[in-house]
Amino acid sequence: MTELSGRPLAIASPSNKPTLYGWLFDAYPSGTGMAVWLIDADGQAHMFHDDFTPVFYVRGPRQDLHDLCQMLRARRAPVELDRTERIDLFLDRPIEVLRVGVRSPGLLPHLFRLVADFNPYLTYYDADIPLPQRYVLTRQVFPLAHCAVEHEAGQIRHIQALDTPWEVDYRLPPLRVMAMRLGGELRNPARGHRGDLLVQIEGEEYPFKREHGRELVLGIRHLLERHDPDVLVTAYGDSYLLPRLLELSRHYGISLPLNRDPDQAIAHKPARSYFSYGRVVFSDEQHLLFGRWHVDRQNAFLGDDYGLDGALEIARLSGLPVQTVARVSTGTGISAMQVSTAWRRGVLVPWQKRQPESLKTGLDLLAADKGGLVYAPLMGLHEHVAELDFTAMYPSIMVHFNLSPETVGAKCCEGVPVPELGTPVCNHRQGLVPETLAPLLEKRNQYKARIRELPEDDPRKEIFRRRYSAHKWLLVTCFGYLGYKNARFGRIEAHEAVTAYGREVLLRAKELVEARGFRVLHLYVDGLWIDKPGASQRPDYEALLDEIRAQTGLQIGLEGVYRWLAFLPSRVEARVPVANRYFGTFEDGSTKVRGIEARRHDTPNFVRETQLGMLAILAEGQGVAGFRAAVPAAIEYAARQLHRLRSGQVPVRDLLVTHRLSRRPDEYVARTAAARVAHQLTQADVSLSPGEKLRFLLVPGPEKARAWELIQGEIPYDHQAYLQLFIRAIESLLAPVGVDQSTLETWLLGQTSYWGPVGVLPPPGTDSRWPLLANARPVGAEHSLLATSAFREIQRECFALTRQAA
Amino acid sequence: MGRTLPSITQTFLQEQQSLARFRRALRLDDQRALDDLLAASRHHLAEAAYASHLLPFEIMLLAMLVEEHKQVMRLRDELETLRSPSTSSPRPASGGQAGHSQEHSRP
Repeated sequence: MTELSGRPLAIASPSNKPTLYGWLFDAYPSGTGMAVWLIDADGQAHMFHDDFTPVFYVRGPRQDLHDLCQMLRARRAPVELDRTERIDLFLDRPIEVLRVGVRSPGLLPHLFRLVADFNPYLTYYDADIPLPQRYVLTRQVFPLAHCAVEHEAGQIRHIQALDTPWEVDYRLPPLRVMAMRLGGELRNPARGHRGDLLVQIEGEEYPFKREHGRELVLGIRHLLERHDPDVLVTAYGDSYLLPRLLELSRHYGISLPLNRDPDQAIAHKPARSYFSYGRVVFSDEQHLLFGRWHVDRQNAFLGDDYGLDGALEIARLSGLPVQTVARVSTGTGISAMQVSTAWRRGVLVPWQKRQPESLKTGLDLLAADKGGLVYAPLMGLHEHVAELDFTAMYPSIMVHFNLSPETVGAKCCEGVPVPELGTPVCNHRQGLVPETLAPLLEKRNQYKARIRELPEDDPRKEIFRRRYSAHKWLLVTCFGYLGYKNARFGRIEAHEAVTAYGREVLLRAKELVEARGFRVLHLYVDGLWIDKPGASQRPDYEALLDEIRAQTGLQIGLEGVYRWLAFLPSRVEARVPVANRYFGTFEDGSTKVRGIEARRHDTPNFVRETQLGMLAILAEGQGVAGFRAAVPAAIEYAARQLHRLRSGQVPVRDLLVTHRLSRRPDEYVARTAAARVAHQLTQADVSLSPGEKLRFLLVPGPEKARAWELIQGEIPYDHQAYLQLFIRAIESLLAPVGVDQSTLETWLLGQTSYWGPVGVLPPPGTDSRWPLLANARPVGAEHSLLATSAFREIQRECFALTRQAA
Repeated sequence: MGRTLPSITQTFLQEQQSLARFRRALRLDDQRALDDLLAASRHHLAEAAYASHLLPFEIMLLAMLVEEHKQVMRLRDELETLRSPSTSSPRPASGGQAGHSQEHSRP
């Protein structure tokens, strides 16, 4: 069979060839086609071969195309060449192109490189779509699709999917999982951590002594042969376990069948560091298997958030192999989904995008070059605040207003002007991006409804939650990819149109909220925080939400009503609030925290635990008065935690600080803690790349910090340094009631307060450091306090209050 | 990320920087008043960004006036309340500094 992109395959007529029913597990190039693995309902794996000729297209002057054909023929390249017509997304009409079919799929990347080097000035299409994705698109199947396969002598004659990627409650094949990790604490073995190898499979755990390499290799081989696992889940398998096992297998001359397909060698991709959103990201090396999956939990993108269930969902939707999905960002997933949409439409997928930003005047740029609306919230502690959030705002805007690279600024029809900008958006054909996103949004809504309906003990609930989370990540990245210069279907004007609609929608919602007598405390891109005296229950907001839905055409929901909510000031300028530093407790007792220490990745566990522990105590308080009343109990808890810290009872593991290396260890100029730790590791023969994470303990003395990997057992830590982090975290929580660092030091370190018992707050509006001065104000004795009778009055009150408090 | 124009916060900081010599020459009390005004205008950066005005400093001045006027309105209300003790206390005005909850106060 050759590639018939975009055209539906004929349904096979009934034949007498044997048919296998199973799930599509793996597909990769092999010889003149693809090796295709299926797993049947009994968990049995089957391999077939399927002849397959992938295709790429070239556009350019006739003479140049002719020269290209001559070159390929002269080199006897295994290609099929002919002229054909295909549709260009931006022109919206067929164009004449040269079709190059590669008879040996594995050679495609090499051949394409040859062609592109021969003439880099031609326009290439469909050139860098991963082969497994091409295969599933051509055959109209998808990874983990339940398939019916007609086969003959190991060759696939016909393959057909029996379900669709849009099914919500789908069946998956029974998978045998083999887990592998080193014993002891989960530390990076590439930085010197050693332990025995622990292998878990089908409920049994097998420890292998690291000193006995030969037995270890033989043992693993035995387990692989006996259990024939489908998935190998490891911790540090990419960077350490697999390379080390392969090394041992070579050393002892014992073959290790990590791959199910004996004809393939394990694929290795080297580690790299790259810039993304202003920071350096480190991507570790990869070891990919054939006929079996290798998933390294320590090298998985967002693995903890959506896990394997989410990765399988993304694979089904995007058409990318599971091993790839588990290691790349969700942006790659959404990009692949757009490629699939284009493919199904029969639209050419450009290799390198040629869509530069269109020329704009300064004023146009001033209007367009903006992001979402981010307000300055009303600082302080508030009660009965409702948070309204637009559901998946940017993707919904793209779908609702048909925003796509080819529809924004299109000249094919009059179109609908974008607010603020006036750019017309085509409304006579659905855009490629909306077409991709609409079913995804729909599926996400279905999962949301199912999660709400299912009882807590239903095992599907957690799986649905993970798939829902995977969708969230796909949708989050789709907006960035619309404006990303390297994205195939990115265009800055479409990106600007999305933010312009976002601002318009949020302001329209603000106007509706205010018209109904609510006060707007904060606006943040797709969320509104509002309050109104008397409104404190869900039903108080229903009519408002309905009105916003009707007026904007987008879904908006009530995230919850807060018992109390605090918007925090900037650490640099206390008079100025910060948009994304807040915390609060909803009516159901759950808390939401943004921008404070507990949310930061570099915060030690102990500090996070203390902050969340105090928050749990404060969460008990109903409203502002309740929050204030809970402060003494929260301070008491903090004092107990502080005692643990100062008496050295906190385990090292809970005090580790995390830091991401922003440069190579030798490039550090200042001797920061992170630089010292990087230096220590380098001295211990560990190679570090920018973007890698360091975990270390702050230690007393000139050493200052020590890498976790170099710590054996419990060692003394730097009390003073941790005390600072500790006080800072508490200050974030209590700043809304006017408690600052010096008050905390009086309460926690001095064990006393002249105002009253520790943690007791003076009346609202009073500075807790000088609470008694508040009493002087009505007398008007600001300048000559000591000289007036007011001073004597304060003294008298001071005595009275101290007695009361005691 | 990927922006051609400086963000509104950057613009604000530039404007603030351009006032550095003026601020330095002011008396200490006046410096504090100026800082208050600048902090007040910083409460309305989102609105200023949305306005896309060619001269952002004009918007900053207006933002200061808005906050000042809110303060005047609040004081006027308070005065009214003090004059007629029977009436209930007014609700704090919304938006920006003057809308600070009573809970958050710093000397």
